[in-house]
Amino acid sequence: MTLEFKRGVIAFLSAAFLVSLLFVQWREVSRRAEESGHSKPHINVPATSVACVDCHAQSTPGLVAHWTGSKHAERGVGCLECHEAQKGDVDGFDHYGAHVATVVTPNDCGRCHADVAAEFGRSHHAKGGNILASLDNFLAEVVEGNRGPVGLHSPTPGRAFVHANGMASANTGCQQCHGAKVGLESSDGKILTVDDFKPGLDGKPTNLDAVARVVKDQNGRPKFSSSTWPNTGIGRINLDGSLGSCSACHSRHDFSPRRARQPENCGKCHLGPDHPQKEIYEESKHGVAFRDLLGEMNLDADEWVLGKDYTGAPTCASCHMSGNVRNGGRITHDPGERISWTNRPAISLAMDTDLDHKIVGETDPEKRRALVHDTWEAKRTRMQEVCSVCHSTEYINGFYKQYDDFVVLYNEKFAKPGLRMMKALVENGLRTKADFDEEVEWTWYYLWHHEGRRARHGASMMAPDYAHWHGMFEVAERFYMELIPQVRELAEHGREHGKAAEAEIVLALVNEILARPEHQWYERDLAKMRAERGKEPK
Amino acid sequence: MFGRWSAAVSFSPLTWIRERVPVGPEQLRELTNEPVPNHLKKWWWCLGGTPAYLFVVQIVTGILLAFYYKPSPQTAYESVRYITEEASFGWFLRGLHKWAATLMVAAVVLHQMRVYFTGAYRKPRELNWLVGMCLLLLTLIVGFTGYSLVYEQLSYWGATVGANITDNVPIVGVYLKQLLLGGEVYNENTLSRFFILHAAVLPVTMAALIALHVTLIRLQGVTEFHFRDEDRKQPAFFNFIPDHLLTELSIGLVLMVLLSVLATVLPAEMGPKADPLSTPEVIKPEWFFYVAFRWLKLFSGTLAVLSMGLIVFLMYAWPFIDARIRKFRPQSEASVWIGIVGALAIIALTVWEASVAH
Repeated sequence: MTLEFKRGVIAFLSAAFLVSLLFVQWREVSRRAEESGHSKPHINVPATSVACVDCHAQSTPGLVAHWTGSKHAERGVGCLECHEAQKGDVDGFDHYGAHVATVVTPNDCGRCHADVAAEFGRSHHAKGGNILASLDNFLAEVVEGNRGPVGLHSPTPGRAFVHANGMASANTGCQQCHGAKVGLESSDGKILTVDDFKPGLDGKPTNLDAVARVVKDQNGRPKFSSSTWPNTGIGRINLDGSLGSCSACHSRHDFSPRRARQPENCGKCHLGPDHPQKEIYEESKHGVAFRDLLGEMNLDADEWVLGKDYTGAPTCASCHMSGNVRNGGRITHDPGERISWTNRPAISLAMDTDLDHKIVGETDPEKRRALVHDTWEAKRTRMQEVCSVCHSTEYINGFYKQYDDFVVLYNEKFAKPGLRMMKALVENGLRTKADFDEEVEWTWYYLWHHEGRRARHGASMMAPDYAHWHGMFEVAERFYMELIPQVRELAEHGREHGKAAEAEIVLALVNEILARPEHQWYERDLAKMRAERGKEPK
Repeated sequence: MFGRWSAAVSFSPLTWIRERVPVGPEQLRELTNEPVPNHLKKWWWCLGGTPAYLFVVQIVTGILLAFYYKPSPQTAYESVRYITEEASFGWFLRGLHKWAATLMVAAVVLHQMRVYFTGAYRKPRELNWLVGMCLLLLTLIVGFTGYSLVYEQLSYWGATVGANITDNVPIVGVYLKQLLLGGEVYNENTLSRFFILHAAVLPVTMAALIALHVTLIRLQGVTEFHFRDEDRKQPAFFNFIPDHLLTELSIGLVLMVLLSVLATVLPAEMGPKADPLSTPEVIKPEWFFYVAFRWLKLFSGTLAVLSMGLIVFLMYAWPFIDARIRKFRPQSEASVWIGIVGALAIIALTVWEASVAH
């Protein structure tokens, strides 16, 4: 063997080695860039989803693009892992060789995220759909709309409608936050929901008569009632009996943790005149710091633990859901776990909850103690763990004292007296039982549902303008300038129409309330002026 | 009085030194200007010095990095992050250190390949082959311990897997693992152990071995090759100074430029911090262990470790095995064919491991 041949061997093998080294380094550098978040991760489409991705890349390219950027795609969780249906599922249908369902429910997500789904199932979020029997729902379905079609009173040029959908406001307003009761079209023209299908524990329908009535299109796909689907309300009532919609916060199809951590995500629902939490947050120092320090929030961190991954500012998620260094990074999908007052009802209640995570209304201390499973103090301690990442104990306790004082002041000065007067009017036949058919009912609703909540939420999240000007100032104005005069007017009206005794009871209650030290300012000078005019208030 | 002044004025520093270090320019020239065989006029035969260059780069950048590095599980990652993101030129130094390590392994492999295929390990240079083998293994180990110091997910789990592999060595495996980790499992002491090995024990050993390697080369001379197209009338050697020195300096400068470009364009990144409770889905060692990692996946536990041990032993013993073969078949070129198969196998296994996630 000549030296020249060996030289060739060395040259060839060295070149091969260097080329392989280039390849290896290219792979290595790409991998490191993916790990450090400087480049998009390489996606391996699971074999079962290749056909779905190929076809949907043409038909719904945005959807595939969203999925491609998701952690799911990165970890090989494809289309069927979430959309695959079992034979017998009421909304399952055959789709190019796969049996799939359109709606992905917490039961589906729970196949991989079992603990999270269980935790979410216990939350008030999951029960958001229970609004169906509430005042708010009555407002949308009856006052704003109609529980049935609304006739056409004149043509709409260019459009040929048969009638107006009386439920439109409820469908697009209430239910897109609270969640719809998902329904399928029935051959008898009705809507079939979970109430008709009566699913068992496995989510499969037990009422096969109802299943037989489901209307399907030419491809065998069940037709959803357009009043109930599409819907990503957080308390959606699903066909398999599960409650909730994970995509309410974890937007499909990228399921971005980054987005769920930002206040805008919660702001889809937590804003507006009745519960402007997002605006309140933006006014607070927390929100101001968040906007300023957005670049330091490390929103793409794997766990996103406050005090470890970021300290710039807390978002809604930081305080109510995410982990922090004080609690060992424990995340909760039940935001109620850290809330010590519920400011949702007219009168704020301490968040003592029972085994079913419902607020305990019992007033007897002994019985109450037996019923309470998780106390408001425990919940407050969990929230204080979050606070303590940045604030001293003294500071936190001082804040909570101010917050408690505010809520109790609202409860005692306006909410409890207001509710008593409203009840007295009904009990004495001076107003109807129907809601919203009399001015005083709108007044009272504005007072607690809008202004009262704004005030309390403002106090809970350090937004002085919401606590005062958008809050207690408007509560006071509504109370003194509208509620009291309207209650008296209804009583006078009753007296003039044969209900003198009932009117006296209500007027006595109003006077009793106004005689309390905190209200005495209101008519002190007025009484003097009227006395001078020889005209006492009745 | 003037006599004392004139004595002071006639003082020569050169004479002063020569009186104390009795080596003249002639002796110095003789010591450094050894005749160099003609084939070394071509730069691609001169890459034996490349690993030595890179070793010096590693020592200098390593010392600077060690100013900031804090070897404990609580502080290691944060200190590397500080170097990468905050310290002045820290990112550049870390990039140089990382890429110099990669190039050093590559240079050592290329150098060894050249020595192997040209039979430069044969008598009387068998001992130097053994020294070179030790330097190869030490280069790999120093790379392994260095990667582990970053204390990111992959380096932590890479070290853990490495320790578990050691565990598979029969009889002594348990003790080797304990020696490596400073305990049964990766613990508080492991990082400081790796640091001392990486920054003190291994570099000092390597420096001594490199000195021995060069001394043996000087004593035995560089292997001479004679190509057919050479003009036999021309002298077979040329001067070390300045001809060969300039070639080496040029190679060194090209290396420095290459390193700077790599460290700037592809700087060393930070992966997620090590989490002993969460095993990453994909565990990869540094690229120069891909071949061993793939081998371990092909054969299970002890068999893989023993076979690898056997291969390393055969590499060490090759000059003596080759001598035995050539004793019976003087014209045998078995070593070339075995080398081709071995090199291709190493390349294939490395590329295979780089191509797949698991």
